[in-house]
Amino acid sequence: MKLCTQIERVEKTVDDFTVGPINLEIELGTITALIGNNGAGKSTLIKMMMNLVKPDNGQLVHFGGSIKTSEHWKQEVAYQPQSVLGCDLLTGNQLRDLMAPWYKKWDQEMFMNLVKTFEIDLHKRFGKMSKGMQQKLNLVLALSKNTKLLILDEPTANMDIPSKQKLMNILVDWMERDERAIVIATHHVDDIKKLADYIVIMNDGKLLGKYEKEELVYRYKRYWFEDALGIEKIPGEIDRLNDRLLISNDVEQTDTFLKKNELKIMQSEVLEMEEIITYMLSGR
Amino acid sequence: MELPIKLSRDSRVPIYHQIEGQIKALIVSGKLPAGSPLPSIRALSKDLEISVITTRRAYQDLEYGGFIKTTQGKGTFVAEVEVKKMEKLAISSVSEAIEKGVETALRHNYSVDEIRSVFEEVLARLKDNDRGGHA
Repeated sequence: MKLCTQIERVEKTVDDFTVGPINLEIELGTITALIGNNGAGKSTLIKMMMNLVKPDNGQLVHFGGSIKTSEHWKQEVAYQPQSVLGCDLLTGNQLRDLMAPWYKKWDQEMFMNLVKTFEIDLHKRFGKMSKGMQQKLNLVLALSKNTKLLILDEPTANMDIPSKQKLMNILVDWMERDERAIVIATHHVDDIKKLADYIVIMNDGKLLGKYEKEELVYRYKRYWFEDALGIEKIPGEIDRLNDRLLISNDVEQTDTFLKKNELKIMQSEVLEMEEIITYMLSGR
Repeated sequence: MELPIKLSRDSRVPIYHQIEGQIKALIVSGKLPAGSPLPSIRALSKDLEISVITTRRAYQDLEYGGFIKTTQGKGTFVAEVEVKKMEKLAISSVSEAIEKGVETALRHNYSVDEIRSVFEEVLARLKDNDRGGHA
């Protein structure tokens, strides 16, 4: 797999909050979901990936070039921020005219198609648009840069349900056009389920891990037992209800223990993505 | 959803294997004739809510087995599969389906004799229905 981004021991302290040290690699051809509670450091990490926040330590490389010393990565990385300042008086058309000339691969046809899909009024001033509409315009501007890496910071936060569905299909199509990658910070479970190949979990400024989606799903399991367990702690156990329902985050260890101790399982199943992420973010 | 694939996350059969099996079954049963286009790895991954890593593995196995062909820039298509291979596969998909039933029975603590009698019963009933239908 070809790498598009390497993040090595990157660290940033603002006031008394430290993000990092973070090590992370992004492969071309994959979509990585960045997950964490509010204030976990996702946006700071993303801004460091765009050189908008300068890290105190470590290094960031896009497409073989250091973000600090090289310039060519700027043509290959597009970013949709959560919010934009200073654009309120400009119309969609004016924003396009400001941005497009900077990007050699700007795709005007894609831009117009996406504007139509999301029903964006390009004559309207940015400040007069609804939050959802601003988000759509930012997204369309980022996509049309036609870069190899797309970084999205909570793109669906203010979007209506049909637009969320549209966006998923658009991102799938966007990925097919070339050997590309997307990093998407999101709180929306559908984004994770339908788009992500890898899930990166952040908590309190630290990166807890990067997991392939199926690997994460099969780590956890829910068991129902015929009889009350009556045993203090079972290997892998992270949660228990009524002594008959057990949740494990180490299926192999739990299965071995249950077999050895001849504990009869009535039923078992994998967890929903929401539950898995909730457990992960609470450190279980 | 472009393909009628249904995954069971609670099955012991790995996801990539389930995809492989179900696409093979669609090909063998003639529902996907030679030349039919298959969804891209990314599109199928979205529909099935799995990673492209898993889908790619299934497609690679199918391609290696001669069931599908990928043409650069054009996409993935069902390949011409020999009749003999098709017959062999039909048998294995039948045994797979029976395996599933037996697994369920074992989960319900059925004995071997009980399973056998359920099987005979179902067989007799379906055969009867079949005969009734043709009479």
